Amino acid sequence: MVTWIVATLVFFMLRAVPGDPLVAMLFDVGDPAAAEELRQKYGLDRPLFIQYVKWCGLLLQGDMGRSIYGSRVPVSTIIIEALPRTISLALLAFAIAIGIAIPAGIIAALRKNSFLDHATTLLAFLGLSMPDFWLAIMLIIVFAANLHWLPAIGYVPISQGVWPWLKHLILPAIAAGTAFSAIIARMIRSSMLEVIKTDYIQVARAKGLRKNTITLVHALPNALIPVITVMGIAFALLMATTVVIENVFSIKGLGRVLIQGILNRDYPVVQGAILVVSMIFIFINLLVDILYTVIDPRIRFE
Amino acid sequence: MKIKWLESFQKDQQQKVSAELSDAYDFDPRDPLFGLPRNDLEGPVMSRRAVLRLLAATGALTAWHMLPGTGIRPAAAASGGTLTAGWAGVGEIVTLDPAQINQVLQFQIASNVLSGLTHIDSDLVARGDLAESWQVSADGTQYNFNLREGVTFHNGDKFTADDVLFTYNRSRDPKQSIHSRAISNVKAVEKIDDYTVRFRLKSPQASFLVKSLERASGRAMTIVSRGALAKMDETDYGMAPVGTGPFRVTYHQLGQGVVLEKFDGYYDPERPKLDKVVIKPIIDTEPLAAALEAGDTQLIGGNPVPAELLDRFQSNSDLVVDIVPGPGFQSLWINPWHPHMRVPDFDKPLGDLMKEKGFKVRLAIAKALDRKRYIKQAQFDRGLEAFGTINPAMGFFFDTGINETSNQAFDPEAARRLMAEAGYPDGKGFPALKLLTTPANRRESQVVANILKKNLNIKIELDTKDFPVLIEDFDAMRWDLVRIGSGGDYDPDDGLVDWMQTASKFNGSKRDKSKQAFGFFSEKEVDQLVSEQRVVTDPEARRKMVRKANQITSDKVTCAFLFHPVDALVHHKRVNFPDVSRIPGLVDLDRVTLS
Repeated sequence: MVTWIVATLVFFMLRAVPGDPLVAMLFDVGDPAAAEELRQKYGLDRPLFIQYVKWCGLLLQGDMGRSIYGSRVPVSTIIIEALPRTISLALLAFAIAIGIAIPAGIIAALRKNSFLDHATTLLAFLGLSMPDFWLAIMLIIVFAANLHWLPAIGYVPISQGVWPWLKHLILPAIAAGTAFSAIIARMIRSSMLEVIKTDYIQVARAKGLRKNTITLVHALPNALIPVITVMGIAFALLMATTVVIENVFSIKGLGRVLIQGILNRDYPVVQGAILVVSMIFIFINLLVDILYTVIDPRIRFE
Repeated sequence: MKIKWLESFQKDQQQKVSAELSDAYDFDPRDPLFGLPRNDLEGPVMSRRAVLRLLAATGALTAWHMLPGTGIRPAAAASGGTLTAGWAGVGEIVTLDPAQINQVLQFQIASNVLSGLTHIDSDLVARGDLAESWQVSADGTQYNFNLREGVTFHNGDKFTADDVLFTYNRSRDPKQSIHSRAISNVKAVEKIDDYTVRFRLKSPQASFLVKSLERASGRAMTIVSRGALAKMDETDYGMAPVGTGPFRVTYHQLGQGVVLEKFDGYYDPERPKLDKVVIKPIIDTEPLAAALEAGDTQLIGGNPVPAELLDRFQSNSDLVVDIVPGPGFQSLWINPWHPHMRVPDFDKPLGDLMKEKGFKVRLAIAKALDRKRYIKQAQFDRGLEAFGTINPAMGFFFDTGINETSNQAFDPEAARRLMAEAGYPDGKGFPALKLLTTPANRRESQVVANILKKNLNIKIELDTKDFPVLIEDFDAMRWDLVRIGSGGDYDPDDGLVDWMQTASKFNGSKRDKSKQAFGFFSEKEVDQLVSEQRVVTDPEARRKMVRKANQITSDKVTCAFLFHPVDALVHHKRVNFPDVSRIPGLVDLDRVTLS
């Protein structure tokens, strides 16, 4: 239902946006008749409602239509090609974000007001303040152009080898994940500070449990409950909004498909991409809700 | 005004160019063979003189064509290897199907995959590509092409006359091709036998032969494979077209790039030299540079190399930067229907126009544009001040003194005086203007706004819109100022006909015609000069007409001209890019080697 509402809204809003894709596409050709021929061929001359009904009919059959531009590649092909790149980048960026955020958040909480806490806070602010495109360009200049350690651009599918895949993703994943690591680290710190003050942690200490056991087994799972929501949103955002990173590293992921489609007024591509993005958000929200029950069995859906 | 490339011409070269130009234009336009003996128009090889004549006759001869070629350098390296090229300023190569290609950056690739009937090298010698030889009838309306035998498409199909017919029929159908207009003068194409075809034209047309002279990739008569198109849909063919060219497409994914591999069955066993070419589209500027510097790419193709990178590349001893004048102009258009800049009749003598309030404001804006400052700040000192559509790449037609003679010559004092005379002393009482621009041109437009603020104390607000919206607004004359221009202008016609005539395709095509008699400009004398210069045979006479039209459009402020760009080929030193492959508009890689 939500997906259908989103799809309908996008369909009509997109057509309300000014800008004719065919006039722009054939501007240099300077032949208005050619634009009209294409308009008829693509069915864009028909009433909006008819176009909508036709699109919905095709969608129910699993057909998202074809791009208006160039070779008229099916939208489903464009999305299927973009998804592995986006998932790869999002997963690695998320892993980097979590890998930095969880230890940093725990250490900052356990060593409250210490040098480590202040250093973590400072780094978190730095991570939040740095624009991702700037960080991306700095990473390229240092690690690709000067040190020649990692490639500056591009993406290689995992089918061509894990290392080639990974080395193309390290820099973009760091650029995309840094800001989220800062946000999540701050969330974990404050959540941990709340949890370690609670009675059951005091009891665990009184029982003489080891510090690591208290922190990792008893405190962390409870501290993660509010953080999980933020993590879910972060992951969803990484799946759809890393367009700047994708541009800088020349990776055509879902974000770039969407933005390029909007700039070109490529209606079928934008409609298809938004549909998939909305489904990703719905799926991740569902996943987050399920994760709550795993982390805290007291939470039940009734 | 310093034109470095012109200065670098030796005197004897200048004389040679001058003599060739005179000869190229020395024909009677009524002659169906353009003043050439019939065998001069026939192949297997067509002389430089004949090619220059045909280019002149079709209005496509440019200074770039006249640059002396040095021929093929001895190969600096053995054959083989993989070249990785970054394709600048583009996110994806949306098509390689010649019927759909509408961007230079697309046919730069297609030219390596598909073939035309003949091909022209940088020395302007036309050689048979898929045609081995050709003959022309005495009345210039019939061309017989003898096709090369033993040529195969990448899928193994034999190339025959049927493929030429198939290509023609496909290209003339507007539902299948956006280039149908380009061959509208062809009455019929007949198959004489498997390896001979005859083109019948409605009337003699120099551009027909010129178009077929070029490898013609991305044009109407680029030969496509009927066998492949019977099995592939338009999408698959657009992604990986099957042709008879030196390379075949083995991989193409939108946004990821294109891989070309050597076609072992190419009819010339000596070419291509490279085993593989990997083409990666790169949108952003810094990654484009970093990828080249890191060695991830070795050559830049696609859109023009961003001006801000050229100094950096030139200071890098590992790179070769070859700069030639860019064919185009960029400008600031001023809406003549805006109440404060209104000029409803450009036909009035200049002296009368100078008395009009609206014209004074237009001229003030043009005179206040500090082009040197603009080029330095917005173009990183790469470009030449512009005062008209005729650019330095057109050499023979370019007026090197126009920066002093133009009414638009930079003079901030005079500009302020004009504003005061129009009733806006120190910009007081003048409304804020909206400058329509694209996100990509926003920074440059801001420089324009800053210069006008400084010199005229008027406020310019940027109105940033995506390209499709900007074009709609531009066509409908919904703008105060707009930052737009033209590229690929090799001949005076490209600037004058496309932009300066009342009937220009860009001149407010969707305006409200009941309120606006024309779009951005209309001037009878210019219309007449532009029409006449297209048919005049004497090069000196044509130059005079072109320069006069250019001067009028400059003096009467069709727009405020900003700058002419440069064109740069950048590659690593280990890439041997022979001069013969430096063909305007193309990136032919069949002779390129790696050391």
